[in-house]
Amino acid sequence: MKISLKWLNDYVDVSDYYKKPNELADHLTRAGLEVEEITDLSASLNHVVVGLITSKDKHPNSDKLSLCQVEIGLGKTEQIVCGAQNHKMGDKVIVALPGAILPGNFAIKKSKIRDIESNGMLCSYKEIGVIDKNSDGIVILEPSATIGMAYADYAGISDVTFELKVTPNRADCLSHYGLAREIGCLLNRKVKPVEILTKFSTDKTTQIKLEVQSDLCLRYSGRYLSGVKIGPSPEWLKSRLESIGMNSINNIVDVTNYVMLELGQPLHAFDADQLSGSMIKIRQATNQEKFKTLKDQDLILKGDELLICDHEKAVAMAGVIGGLNSGVQDHTKNIFIESANFNSMSVRKSSRIHGLETDSAYRFSRGVDQSQTLLAMDRAALLMIQCAGGTAYGAPIDVYNHPTVKKPIHITLKTISERLGYTAQADLFEQFMTGLHCEIKKISEDSYSVIPPLFRFDLEQDMDLVEEYARLNGYENIQETLPVFNQQPTPHDAFYLLKNKISVLMQSCNFSQAFNYAFTSKNNEDQFLKNTETLKVYSLKTNEKPVIILNPLSEELNALRRSVSFSLWKNTTENFHMGNERGQLFEIGPVFSQDKNIFIESNRLAMTIWGNEFGIHSSTTPNVYKIRAAIEKLFQLLGINSYSFKDLETKIPFLHFGQSSAVIIEGKYVGFIGTVHPQYIQNEKIRVDVAMAELDLDMICQGQPRPSRFKSVSTYQSVDRDFSFVVKADQTMNDFMTDVKKSLGSVCKEVRVFDIYQADKLDKTQKSVSVRVTMQSTELDLTESMILDNVNKIMNSAAKNLDAKLR
Amino acid sequence: MEKTVQNQLSSIKENAIKDFTKAESTSELYNFKVQYLGKTGALTEAMKLMVSLPKEEKPLFGKLVNEVKAELENLYLSLEEKIKNKEIDSKMQNEKIDLSFAAAGTERGHEHPIFKVTNEIVNIMSRLGYSLRTGPLVEKDYYNFEALNIPPNHPARDMQDTFFVDETHVLRTHTSPIQIHSLENEKPPLRIIGTGSVFRCDSDISHLPNFHQIEGMCVDEKVSMADLKGTISFFVKEFFGPQLKTRFRPSFFPFTEPSAEVDCSCPICKGKGCSLCKQTGWIEIGGCGLINPKVFEFAKIQYPRWQGFAFGFGIERMAIIKYGIDDIRHFPKNDVRFLSQF
Repeated sequence: MKISLKWLNDYVDVSDYYKKPNELADHLTRAGLEVEEITDLSASLNHVVVGLITSKDKHPNSDKLSLCQVEIGLGKTEQIVCGAQNHKMGDKVIVALPGAILPGNFAIKKSKIRDIESNGMLCSYKEIGVIDKNSDGIVILEPSATIGMAYADYAGISDVTFELKVTPNRADCLSHYGLAREIGCLLNRKVKPVEILTKFSTDKTTQIKLEVQSDLCLRYSGRYLSGVKIGPSPEWLKSRLESIGMNSINNIVDVTNYVMLELGQPLHAFDADQLSGSMIKIRQATNQEKFKTLKDQDLILKGDELLICDHEKAVAMAGVIGGLNSGVQDHTKNIFIESANFNSMSVRKSSRIHGLETDSAYRFSRGVDQSQTLLAMDRAALLMIQCAGGTAYGAPIDVYNHPTVKKPIHITLKTISERLGYTAQADLFEQFMTGLHCEIKKISEDSYSVIPPLFRFDLEQDMDLVEEYARLNGYENIQETLPVFNQQPTPHDAFYLLKNKISVLMQSCNFSQAFNYAFTSKNNEDQFLKNTETLKVYSLKTNEKPVIILNPLSEELNALRRSVSFSLWKNTTENFHMGNERGQLFEIGPVFSQDKNIFIESNRLAMTIWGNEFGIHSSTTPNVYKIRAAIEKLFQLLGINSYSFKDLETKIPFLHFGQSSAVIIEGKYVGFIGTVHPQYIQNEKIRVDVAMAELDLDMICQGQPRPSRFKSVSTYQSVDRDFSFVVKADQTMNDFMTDVKKSLGSVCKEVRVFDIYQADKLDKTQKSVSVRVTMQSTELDLTESMILDNVNKIMNSAAKNLDAKLR
Repeated sequence: MEKTVQNQLSSIKENAIKDFTKAESTSELYNFKVQYLGKTGALTEAMKLMVSLPKEEKPLFGKLVNEVKAELENLYLSLEEKIKNKEIDSKMQNEKIDLSFAAAGTERGHEHPIFKVTNEIVNIMSRLGYSLRTGPLVEKDYYNFEALNIPPNHPARDMQDTFFVDETHVLRTHTSPIQIHSLENEKPPLRIIGTGSVFRCDSDISHLPNFHQIEGMCVDEKVSMADLKGTISFFVKEFFGPQLKTRFRPSFFPFTEPSAEVDCSCPICKGKGCSLCKQTGWIEIGGCGLINPKVFEFAKIQYPRWQGFAFGFGIERMAIIKYGIDDIRHFPKNDVRFLSQF
């Protein structure tokens, strides 16, 4: 909210801060009312000074222009060309010097006017933005004006505005008067009373009848004004509103806005002659009821809204916005001022439902002081009569059925001391509470009963008063201590630790960690996944329909994601197109699904590699093998021994079906690895090998931690034997190696494939495989005959089970 | 003793020394060794002369021959070692590679700065006895708002623009629901930290719709604002550096009373004023306060028997301040040139 210091000064003396507004801002910020921005309105008067015309001649090249020498202080004189005629030698004038930027972003520079140098400008009021003095000619100042003095200082133009961040609990500071009251307490200064209308007409013939049918209307006050003349507001009113960024509309509407900004009480002015039956009826709307706002919006009401009605129609949505049918118009003569108070939750709800975030709704939903309706009403009446003429009728309407009573709060100094960590003082406490307009009653040496003022909605319990004490005494006076530690420490969340462990491993496998939004574009994800059913086969729970966000920021972020692969695919393509032709990313993150009204979050581990490492010794192994290697390392880390990679039963649409496989742990699918489908690569114009994997992290982490068990290390010699077999072309190496291992039993230490090729002399149905088998016994050194025996076992088994022949 | 015999012996020795030192390889050296000291070598042959010597001269001659033999064998060993060393040196010379550049394998994976900062904070708070908790991202309205003293239609809801997935579920707007779960499921005294993704319908140059928070909660029999201030001050010094100061300003959060916003002196300019701190010398890093008794009431924790404080920080903001990152929008992009800096 914008605050004008001059306006504030009407109610509490802050004139000593005009020149040092940052000090006042600091007081407010330290009291919890953060000043976010300070604007010096006189900034447009920088480089504008008082000058003395020492000579005035005709411009040699123009009849209409004059050529002046102007003394501008410190003995300096500038030559200035001027177009006005009302000045003479010896006049003191307002001079805008080069560097000045006058209102309208008009920059003053050194220039030549009709070949004659001019180093500034003599100003009229209009040119320096003083709008309440209507004159086109050059301003002639008092002869006593000091030459060279800044004009802003001379004229006392020093208004400064604050952009104040008012937290929702401090609705009482949403007005100049409210803030003045707070400053009065903070700086211990007197707050001046509000001037209101006191002279009324005694004519009672014109009266508005009132009928309150809903408890959502807490208080309704109103006054009737006759014979006003609608017109523009006086300059002072316009400029006050403009100073805090509000546009002037007409004298009556401006006054309602002015009083709201001054006292925090939203007001509404009805054209009294438009109120049919001269009555106001307050009731709840009916479902599907129609209402047209003063901004010409057609609303269909839900039935929760509170309406202000006349005899036949709704004329305003209470506390939110007026209706088109009853507002002040150019020809309006008689006014009914509404100064009411409505249930804050109800106003907020109505304003939210219809997206009507008005200044009035903003204030009512935060809380408006119920005791001030009459004050605000007569403040408005006073200003309306000043600005628009007319007469106010004596007897106002005022229905206030259930006045709110603030409950006393019981508080002890001991509580304050304990919570703040220093000893609270009785005299300070009393001073603070009184300053805050609380009624206090001392109950015992240590305890008080405190009744807060009606306008402090936030003061309800003793801790609220503890905060007031801390705030007014200064948070800087709170010590720094550490709490006593007398509890059993508990372990960290186990899954968090596990995720970290996995993250470290993935980093050691050259994968960098990615973070992607939990939401994505439903359409784009659909296009990527194509068929969600296939992922389910591999235990990646993926609903056909994602969890939809009801109020998305954009179509790009309208649903919770179902897969991390899509996020990483986007990262991959974006990285590639940014010129990062190679990279590796992993992400540990959530995916979402919905089962009726239960929302399910599952955790996934996904990774992507794109491009090949560039360099002399870089390998050309397909990236999907690097992903597989990383997953094997992960399983080793987690103590998972029984796992395998098996051809996909059901094709995954975004994977290359010849280069993808399912990942299996202990007989269960946990996800997939694979090269990205060539069509996807082509569509994105990526040109490099991209491999991805996505695993269900919850499944992988089942049974963690798996304990490590020591197995004794053999001290006997190990023996290597190499074999070259001819096998069927579609023979998988996994089955082949498993067969070798099985045939040897416990003596088999390792089987490594070191060559696979399709030799020319073999037909297309065969391939040659070279393996190195390492044998080692835990009991003895293998003898030549034992080794020979084992070699035979391998060959016989391979021949029998796999139809493999030694080459 | 006959001069001739002696002369013969010394000429064998001289020749042997000449030949040995001439050898350039171990094999050549070995051949010379065989030539002089072998079974049919010159010295072995010379030994045969002993037969022709008078009896009394035999021991002396034998001694002389053995001396020469020992001398030559020692020479052989020392020369052999020299040649071997030379051979290895020349082998290494031939195997020289250029280590002025990295031929391969300099890549490493990098931790995302969001999680790097999270882990650092968890480590610091662990030392004060706090343990980590997490919670669901799709959260019940009750846990995200009501139990934190933010009733429906309360203006405090405006402080957090909320994404809804149905009438009673939201994407959590802060990590504070983790506190409520902990209060419900565990018994005080408690020291916990909660972290993870949070969501606000807010996206501009300085806000992400999905960002991260970390927050702490301490519930015990006696907990004061001074304890809170001390804890945060400790944290700030550990995280940003020992010279940094902290400042508390009154503020408002529905779930704490009193509430405060925490500023730390700007780590970039050390409080002198720069663009990061908008010339103020201070940077806002988070919010905190004593837990509002109403929150305890919702969680059915006895108050004032148990009291507490809570604090929360935005992780992206901490990372921005700590590493001087110029734009919050780097975080969700995952550009490898960004990630590789951490």
